[in-house]
Amino acid sequence: MGAVVTQLLDRRLLDRRLDLPVTLPVNGTDNERVWLVTTADLDMLLRRVAQRDPEAFADLYDATRSRVYGMVARVLRDRGYSEETTQDVYLQVWRTAESYDPASGSALAWLLTLAHRRAVDRVRAEQAATQRDSRYGATTLERPADHVSDAVIAGEERQRVTACLDGLTDLQRECIELAYYQGMTYVQVSERLSANLATVKSRMRDGLRALRNCLGVR
Amino acid sequence: MTQSHVPDPDLLDLAVPYALHALSDAERDALESRLTAAGRTANDTFYDEVRAVRETMAVVSAANAEEPSAGLRERLLSAVADDNVRSLRPSKRLRTAWMSAAAALAIGLITVGIGVSLRPPAQAPSTADQVFAASDVHTISGAIPAGGTATVVFSRDRDAGVLVMNDVPPPAPGTVYQMWLVSDSGATSAGTMDAMAVAPSTTAVLTNLGSSNKLRFTVEPGSGSTQPTGQVIAELPLV
Repeated sequence: MGAVVTQLLDRRLLDRRLDLPVTLPVNGTDNERVWLVTTADLDMLLRRVAQRDPEAFADLYDATRSRVYGMVARVLRDRGYSEETTQDVYLQVWRTAESYDPASGSALAWLLTLAHRRAVDRVRAEQAATQRDSRYGATTLERPADHVSDAVIAGEERQRVTACLDGLTDLQRECIELAYYQGMTYVQVSERLSANLATVKSRMRDGLRALRNCLGVR
Repeated sequence: MTQSHVPDPDLLDLAVPYALHALSDAERDALESRLTAAGRTANDTFYDEVRAVRETMAVVSAANAEEPSAGLRERLLSAVADDNVRSLRPSKRLRTAWMSAAAALAIGLITVGIGVSLRPPAQAPSTADQVFAASDVHTISGAIPAGGTATVVFSRDRDAGVLVMNDVPPPAPGTVYQMWLVSDSGATSAGTMDAMAVAPSTTAVLTNLGSSNKLRFTVEPGSGSTQPTGQVIAELPLV
């Protein structure tokens, strides 16, 4: 496995113009191996970003933008907010890449955690604000989304994740949806579902465990 | 004596909500204080669980992948390139660009008072650096109906912002675009841009945001006005 990782990394380093997919196309895909390749690639890019390498920043952006933007957009449900938040996320990456510690998790998890924090802060701030529509009415923006590139996120990985999500119970999925994608606190989730706190916590925990096992995350 | 060495089951129960950012700020702060007091084993167990949840959600992100607009990439790369080049190795090309843009802006600045300065090739952290590094950095971006995009990256802590205009068509001959920081007590000029300054993109530093809550763009005659008189072409909320 180590040899495969090295070989793929070498190929990347030799050809800087190569598009860097999050999931590299490995023949006879073994999920665990693909994941490790991804992790090592992004780790290296983040390290170069920490040294203010703009090309590494561009590569990192290209390798992760559809995941980051997609997650942020799922939380914020507004194209303009989502682009702004995604921009803030990557500016934060640019200035804080050196704070990433590989020992505490993968580069992708670090990035998505940072992005999710910002998205949740934004959705909570917007919910607290009173004039959402009037404030943004004058400046809604940008062309419509490009099609999601299957080259960026291999269809296979998307299917695998979807299958694992489908494997959750409805109650587990609902708790994760409300907390992670709608930015609710677990207390708010329990109020919404009229379930007690302990029940909500155990549904979240069991749902995450099931997902983790299904996806083979260690 | 004040620390319990028995892992607190309540703590571990909160690892998933913590990892999913499903705690209020107050709940999170309280939890982190309890963790600090809980000892190393409890902390390791807790943060292992947090890490696993975050790795899992990172994989799950494949299910929602969606492409942002190409404009976002351009804005980010130009912000980062400017930042990098300025702080490490100013190139001749970029210095030239600054000077021509600065010359274009100078007319406006003399007329209406200094609200905008193009970022200087600074040794110390420039205003732009400080804005990007601020913990409260925000980005607001909007399409200008006549064409192009205006993006403001700003920080209230730093009382400053960086404006990037991309692909904005030049103002009609004899007029300039003028930027205004608008607060409840009125509008203050933040500088002007003429045809040379807008094409194809320009960057300006906004200082003294004060209590302004909007950045307004108007078309003004000649080299600018002391108060907005012309048509409002765009407005960005600075909140």
